Amino acid sequence: MLSIRHLGHRYPAAEVPALDDVSFDAVRGEVLGLLGPNGAGKTTLIAHLAGLLPIQRGEIIIDAQSLAAARAQQPTRIAIAPQEYAFYPSLSVTENLTCFAGVGGLGGSEREARIAECLTFAQIERYATMRADRLSGGLKRRLNLAIAMLHHPELLLFDEPTVGVDPQSRAFILEAVRKLADAGCAVIYTSHYMEEVEAIANRVVFLDEGKVVKQGGLAELLAEAEAAGAQARPSHGNLEQLFMALTDHSLRG
Amino acid sequence: MFPALIKKELLSLSRDVHGMAALFLMPMVFIIVMSMALKDVYSPSTKVLAYAVANQDSGKLANVLIDRWAKDAGVAQSLPDNWRDELVAGRLQYVLTIDPDFSAQASDMNSKGEAKARLLAEPGMGQAMFEMQRMRLLSIVTQLRAEVLLAQLDLGINVAALAKQTPVAAERVSAGGARPTAVQQNVPAWLVFGMFFVVASIAGLFVEERACGALARLRSLGAQPWQLVVSKIVPYVMINGIQAALMLAVGVWLMPVIGGEGMLLVGMNWAALLVMLLAISLAAVSLALTVACLVSTHAQAATLGPILNVLMAALGGVMVPTFVMPPVMQKIAAFSPMNWGLEGLLDVLLRGGGVAAVLPEAGKLTGFALLMLMVGFALFRRRV
Ligand SMILES: Nc1ncnc2c1ncn2[C@@H]1O[C@H](COP(=O)(O)OP(=O)(O)O)[C@@H](O)[C@H]1O
Ligand SMILES: [Mg+2]
Repeated sequence: MLSIRHLGHRYPAAEVPALDDVSFDAVRGEVLGLLGPNGAGKTTLIAHLAGLLPIQRGEIIIDAQSLAAARAQQPTRIAIAPQEYAFYPSLSVTENLTCFAGVGGLGGSEREARIAECLTFAQIERYATMRADRLSGGLKRRLNLAIAMLHHPELLLFDEPTVGVDPQSRAFILEAVRKLADAGCAVIYTSHYMEEVEAIANRVVFLDEGKVVKQGGLAELLAEAEAAGAQARPSHGNLEQLFMALTDHSLRG
Repeated sequence: MFPALIKKELLSLSRDVHGMAALFLMPMVFIIVMSMALKDVYSPSTKVLAYAVANQDSGKLANVLIDRWAKDAGVAQSLPDNWRDELVAGRLQYVLTIDPDFSAQASDMNSKGEAKARLLAEPGMGQAMFEMQRMRLLSIVTQLRAEVLLAQLDLGINVAALAKQTPVAAERVSAGGARPTAVQQNVPAWLVFGMFFVVASIAGLFVEERACGALARLRSLGAQPWQLVVSKIVPYVMINGIQAALMLAVGVWLMPVIGGEGMLLVGMNWAALLVMLLAISLAAVSLALTVACLVSTHAQAATLGPILNVLMAALGGVMVPTFVMPPVMQKIAAFSPMNWGLEGLLDVLLRGGGVAAVLPEAGKLTGFALLMLMVGFALFRRRV
């Protein structure tokens, strides 16, 4: 459904581009893991897809339409769960959902029904009347997820959705993301945690310094890592080793 | 889309306790405190001054003088023995002394006038008040002498009737009939000040909204920049309207209850008031949007907003009326949007001006608003 071709972006006054000739596809029913260290350009890429940055180079195609045309027709087809807690801290959980539902054009009983569904899906019904800034880190992430789901998006963008989250909420969120893909969504999931991507992704794109350094199906990449890895560690280590070898620097800010 | 955005803005604001206090409580407190404090500057009352009379003359004229003086000054206190000490200590504000032989000399056309009626004031009496009392004494004595001397000339004039005529009248002219009392001056001044306090609130909430990514989310849901800007203007113009209603209510109803003078709205042109309020509101909200787009943290917004407000208020004649400022400062004041707002409101509330009278000020404010909107919008598109 989504096709990114030769996307490039340079912030004003930046010396090096934040994105440089990035190309990959995402399809419905699959989670695409977008992996990369801090500053790799993940958020910049997501911002493009959410229509927040003008396209400088290359193109983004959604179902044979340009991104701009697709967004002009129906902006809510693509939903973003930003890296930050993108909601109003002094509003309650329900008030936040109501606000974003209204902005996206939902109203009346349809809106109430969708809010109820999203509360249930994110398992935050019990906190419906609580002020958003009083929620724990994990609950905030779940609210972020619930808001992203409001409009039945076809493409869901998660930007590091498990930062600052307890292990239970993290497992919950990963499972929820997987469920959304299984229900037919195309999901792009950015992270710098290899094991998360190993757990849920169908395809993986490695991004470093704005460039795609490797991409492929999860299974192939794991196999490749196995073949290349001299001292294969059990379970989660494989993808990480491959990643380290590809990016060639172990520590970044 | 707009109902959701506006509701969100109002909910966020209503939960910002400090913001609400700054918007509603602060200007109200300023109006009450400053009106009470400045009451006597605008309508000095001579009746409240404590005075005594030291009459060393036994003549008839001295007694007439004392009677006429008391008409405006109220009843004199009895003269204490140590009245000079009382005067220096300020417990008596002035003493009217009449030299011996005053009546006789005043009635004598050939006298050198060595026996005088004297005004001895306490050291703390303000210059304006002192001058006023001196002039009053001078006018009473001059008139008394004229009456006595004319009567002596026996020109067949009805002196008593002549004395009743005073061919002088003085009043402050205002079409609406309102006098420039402390309340009448302070309500518009602090109303303008309060209305501009939306700058801190809007900018603070806006920066927070941008920093947390909520603004990005709204944009990705299809909200256009102009829609986001309009969704901020509408609720804050409403807030400004509520502020105006509240401040006028304080002036009209609350001030008389707590012992101040009430504000008079009789004969006021409501359309002109609305035009002015709308122009001030647009200027304040647009300035807020520009400030919001200039700063990058909530702390900067919370500092820059109030600093701008206080500067504009000090320069614009909100804190000190422009007419007491030196000419240079008055010229600078003409550049403060708060001054335009204040002058326009005074046109309506004090000078009985109609819509035409406030158009220059309303025009300047609207022009300022448009300029700010343009700058703000340009910055907004770059920063969202
Ligand atoms: N608003 C911005 N202005 C200038 N440079 C930016 C901006 N946002 C990000 N960058 C730079 O672009 C690069 C990619 O950033 P980002 O997309 O946030 O990476 P990631 O999300 O992978 O950590 C970094 O070098 C970052 O410093
Ligand atoms: Mg990022």
